[in-house]
Amino acid sequence: MAHPLQLGLQDASSPIMEELLYFHDHALMIVFLISSLVLYTISLMLTTKLMHTSTMNAQMVETMWTILPAAILTSIALPSLRILYMTDEINNPLLTIKTMGHQWYWSYEYTDYMDLNFDSYMIPTLDLKPGELRLLEVDNRTVLPMETPIRMLISSEDVLHSWAVPSLGLKTDAIPGRLNQTTLSATRPGLFYGQCSEICGSNHSFMPIVLELIPLKHFETWSALTS
Amino acid sequence: MLSRAAWSLVLRKGGLGTRGTHSPGGTARSEGKMPPYSNYYAQRSYPMPDEPFCTELTAEQRALKEKEKGSWTQLSHAEKVALYRLQFHQTFAEMNHRSNEWKTVMGCVFFLFGFAALVIWWERIYVFPEKPITLTDEWKAKQLQRILDMKANPVQGLASRWDYEKKQWKK
Repeated sequence: MAHPLQLGLQDASSPIMEELLYFHDHALMIVFLISSLVLYTISLMLTTKLMHTSTMNAQMVETMWTILPAAILTSIALPSLRILYMTDEINNPLLTIKTMGHQWYWSYEYTDYMDLNFDSYMIPTLDLKPGELRLLEVDNRTVLPMETPIRMLISSEDVLHSWAVPSLGLKTDAIPGRLNQTTLSATRPGLFYGQCSEICGSNHSFMPIVLELIPLKHFETWSALTS
Repeated sequence: MLSRAAWSLVLRKGGLGTRGTHSPGGTARSEGKMPPYSNYYAQRSYPMPDEPFCTELTAEQRALKEKEKGSWTQLSHAEKVALYRLQFHQTFAEMNHRSNEWKTVMGCVFFLFGFAALVIWWERIYVFPEKPITLTDEWKAKQLQRILDMKANPVQGLASRWDYEKKQWKK
């Protein structure tokens, strides 16, 4: 989860997010290079008393500033598409979880090996235990096994929502009447926080997601207890 | 017709502008009409237009223009200056002169900063709600301990900077 005054993205806890971190560095470096070039050019333009009013055509520079941006865009698009296709690779998920967005909470259904169905509401600030994270904690966390591919099926019961967990690189819209699928695979155990990412009414900021990733053995114990 | 009448109301005599009103000395004035009544459009990037500044000449000025058609070595310095003033509104020095406008601008900027600060001060007292309990120091300390316990961001983030053996921040 994010810590106060954090500047960059959260550390990756899934292979896709690691790829996204590298891609973000690459794209941001390109952005910085272009911005420095533009700022430098602006400063050159602004710090001269000379005037030039007679340019009629400038074929060389026009060619350069057409070809160069095209090349830069290609260099951004190719890694981006690579990661996009990587997210759709076949990975044989071992578990399928359904999550439905409501106004204003998430509900989770574990129907593979058990018949479990629960709602996950945010804990109000007044009910927090000391040290808990405001606007991020929920009453029932989504318990999942780590290091296993899990299929998440996401939809909504009323309006648009979006199920997002940044440290796993996940964000999938919850659209009423549609079933969206994403694959979750965490490399570390622990708690991973996310928040609803599509405006859905007055409590849109107050319907977080908390994933509790635990080793498979403990997950089996948990699921035996809860079914 | 109406727009010209309105323009003449807006136009101050001499057409100084903001820079002009801030200059220490004041620009040199010349006889002649100001835009838009003349065809003289000089700008910093196009300082010497083809149309002369003064188009309605007195008899004396017309005589001077006739003299200009001869050899220029016969013109006295004062006559050359007069001819320049007929042709152009300002010299390069006058056009490029510095002004005190920046002081007015900075003064207004700082004044508005101060005014905004006063408004925010008032809002802090009368408008803003209570801060949530999670912003107190003890809560923040417990929260930090919780984040470190769950080893959030252990690769390059917060937990990676905490030494778990020595129970202190890494040097």
